[in-house]
Amino acid sequence: MSEKLVQYLDDELAGSEKETFEQQLAADKNLYEELESLKVAREAVKIFGLQQKVSGIHQHMMLEIQGPDKKINPARRILRYSIAVAASVLLIVGGIVGYNFYTLSSNKVFASNYRPYELSTVRDGDTQQVSPVEKAYREKDYKKVVELQEQYNSILVKETFLAAMSYAELANNTKAIDGFKKVIAENENAGTSLFKDEAEYYLALTYISNKDYDFALDLLRKTRDNPNHLYHDKVTGKLIRQVKMLKWR
Amino acid sequence: MEPIRNFPDSELVANLRAGKRMDETIKTIYRNHFDSLNWYVMNNSGSRQDAEDVFQEVVMAFIDLVKKDKFRGESTVKTFLYSLNRHTWLNELKRRGRALAREEKYEKGQERIELDASHLISDREGKVEVIKLVGQLGDICKKILLLFYYENLSISEILDTLDYQNEQVVRNKKYKCLKELEQMITEKPLLKQTLKNLLHG
Repeated sequence: MSEKLVQYLDDELAGSEKETFEQQLAADKNLYEELESLKVAREAVKIFGLQQKVSGIHQHMMLEIQGPDKKINPARRILRYSIAVAASVLLIVGGIVGYNFYTLSSNKVFASNYRPYELSTVRDGDTQQVSPVEKAYREKDYKKVVELQEQYNSILVKETFLAAMSYAELANNTKAIDGFKKVIAENENAGTSLFKDEAEYYLALTYISNKDYDFALDLLRKTRDNPNHLYHDKVTGKLIRQVKMLKWR
Repeated sequence: MEPIRNFPDSELVANLRAGKRMDETIKTIYRNHFDSLNWYVMNNSGSRQDAEDVFQEVVMAFIDLVKKDKFRGESTVKTFLYSLNRHTWLNELKRRGRALAREEKYEKGQERIELDASHLISDREGKVEVIKLVGQLGDICKKILLLFYYENLSISEILDTLDYQNEQVVRNKKYKCLKELEQMITEKPLLKQTLKNLLHG
């Protein structure tokens, strides 16, 4: 009977043989239960088979979806690290440049380059020859310097320059610019160079403070291009770059 | 390298129902749907491993439902798989006891507009136990039963792959193996009932 039961389960019975067996199944509850148990076992095999099939494909597909582990040769790895390091350095440098660009100001550039002009030391015997303008300048009394200059309107180049420096100290850019320009013009007219280099340098700085960057750049380039200029060493490439950056902003 | 085939829904379902080109068809399901379903699990407190396990279960459940003619194309395969995936994962979260209240609230709102596949998902733990139990059979028994009942090979085809004298010996062995498995199942009444439900459900 067991052999027939399995044949029936496997759908290997046909015709009258199948009909007869089905009649027996209907009449015999135990036989029917035994068939049910075998069907249950067959179902278990199907579940197991499906799990094995999907599990096998799952492993394969996870590799395909995630991509295979790529083996990188040492030279390529070094190249990758080098590129990564270079990119990091570039990023850091870019960050610093960006930070400097956005925090740069005309006042900052002016303040880091401006030093008050100092007159050379006067020997004891010469004190009588020092003019009131020069005396006031030496005493850093810049207000008095400009008052005296406005009062007497000295035509001496030195006093014109000291008055311009005093205006610069008092943050009166317009008057300082006029004064420095006057020193330069008088030298050009007379073919001399009294306080000319000094006037050009301080005029450039005053232009920066006044945000006249194009005028400042012309003077700075001229100074940088002339190795004999008194302030050639003070006008660095960095200063010119900073003024250019201020101009772009 | 094998060529990549992509089946439209109708062909995919027909293949699964007939048990044809199963490997290619299952791979198509993975290629077309794994990423989006994986995303759902990983965005709802699941890990990558959780997502993979759930997807594997979903594929098994889908094939089983197609074979039992319970997927009749009322929705697209994508929508159906999404629904199975969602319910499988939420059940797993509940089982782990860490389903979030917010998530449940959100999911409740979705119930009305989405296909409800919860009744289609069969007893997960029961299936795990069945797989474990069949795995305990000897290798020859597993091979004969799988070739005959899962791969649908004939006895003569099985004879070609095994070292037996004739078909009758294979038939006898198959019968003994099936009876052995039946006995193992009978010893676990709850599991037997689960399998009956799966069989007739």
